[in-house]
Amino acid sequence: MEHGDVNVIYSVEHQLPLIMYIGQYFFFTGLSAGSFVISVIATLLGRKEFKPIGKITAILAPALLIIAPLNLILDLEQPLRFWHLFVFYNWTSPITYGSFLLTAYPIMGCIYAFMVYTDRQKLAKVFGILGIPLAISVHGYTGFILALAKARSLWNTAAMPTIFLVSAMVSGIGLVVIIAAIRYKWFDKAATNETREQDKKLILQLAQFMAYVIMLDLFLILSDVLVLLTAHSDAYEAGMLILTGNFAPLFVGVEIILGSFLPILLILGPKMRNSLTAVVVASILVNIGVYAMRFVMVIGGQTVPLS
Amino acid sequence: MAKKRYAMVIDIRRCIGCHACTVACKAEMAVPLEVNATWLKIVEKGRFPDARRFVLPRLCNNCEDAICARNCPTQATYKRDDGIVMVDQHRCIGCKYCIASCPYDVRYINPLKNIVQKCYFCSHRVDAGMEPACVETCPTRAMVFGDMNDSKSEVAQIMASNATVVLKKEMQTNPQVHYIAPDETAMSNVEREINYYTEGTLFKLKI
Repeated sequence: MEHGDVNVIYSVEHQLPLIMYIGQYFFFTGLSAGSFVISVIATLLGRKEFKPIGKITAILAPALLIIAPLNLILDLEQPLRFWHLFVFYNWTSPITYGSFLLTAYPIMGCIYAFMVYTDRQKLAKVFGILGIPLAISVHGYTGFILALAKARSLWNTAAMPTIFLVSAMVSGIGLVVIIAAIRYKWFDKAATNETREQDKKLILQLAQFMAYVIMLDLFLILSDVLVLLTAHSDAYEAGMLILTGNFAPLFVGVEIILGSFLPILLILGPKMRNSLTAVVVASILVNIGVYAMRFVMVIGGQTVPLS
Repeated sequence: MAKKRYAMVIDIRRCIGCHACTVACKAEMAVPLEVNATWLKIVEKGRFPDARRFVLPRLCNNCEDAICARNCPTQATYKRDDGIVMVDQHRCIGCKYCIASCPYDVRYINPLKNIVQKCYFCSHRVDAGMEPACVETCPTRAMVFGDMNDSKSEVAQIMASNATVVLKKEMQTNPQVHYIAPDETAMSNVEREINYYTEGTLFKLKI
């Protein structure tokens, strides 16, 4: 029987339970976790040229964490009941763990930022190391939120937490590059030529590192999509939705081409070796690509019908 | 005394698609417009003159291994001992994670109360010794409700003597709504199969 010969006369209307507030929340926690990890690496390595980046990102991480939960509370149907999350628990639900992580991590981030700004190097290292698993968990648990929602085939994959964490690293490094470049161009007039050369080299090296992490991200996406296309029928439809369907422009066009291939070319391409502009453009594109990825995952994942 | 295990059996051979169950449910639970706790899924197959409609009454399956109850962060959704999956109207924060997790599309946001609701087998009626509203209203007695663990109940006897199927058995949610002789297309994910989500506007590629 051809497809045209089957018609659904009546069924329940297909609603989207989670909208882009949730996608934005994923994006901001990713940025925060990524920049926190960069800051702690800078502090741990301890060299003088890493200090400005370490300081900026130490403030950035908890600041982003103030915007993120606002998105969550706005998405609730009963926003004034959000405190229920701290009083009622379900140990099989990732959101319960997330509520506590989302309180512990900004507190740790603020303590760490205080230590960095008051030059207490040793304590900064201690709190930085304590904060890294928190930062990874705060973004990793969001991957588990999607992965454990069994009904949605685009989400129900073991790769989801890893893809989220790697995208978070990518967008976090991108943000750090942009901010460091802004500081280099407009806020660093008092420095000597030598330190300015060092700063520029550092930014270019960070961007190179970002390019390699983007390659890892591409590999994860490739393996995810390949398995999606060869799994059961719902998973195949989800894979086709993002490859050739209504979400293809966002997924293939924005996330893969604009957000991954083009930045790699801009950063590692032979003619762009010393260009700070190319690197900043690449970082902006990367962040747009990661935002598109959150959109495709959250909204696209709920677009495939269930019945 | 054995634990109760409430289940429902819907005999599609008797269902005439009259929508009485939908209306009774709307009245009993005061379900607002635009959303449904119980509804009929109607699928038409074939071309004139060889066309026919197939009906499938749909409601919350009150699954034994409910994904929604596993994922609810405040345990506002929980499974009672007798098998009914309830939603605590005062505890629900409306995060909608349960709606995202449910494979059957049976949960909805009540637009007037701003919480999540679904069919709960009319637990208020069942606890008082009555049947759910849809079961009592069904004019052909297509819907039968009762305690599966009680071997003398009508539900247990029907299930022991008829072949029953459930929706999306591969999800391993162990649903408690069983169907006798439903149409395979009506049971399947028809909207996804009609395939207009995956043929995009940019290019058509068949893998």
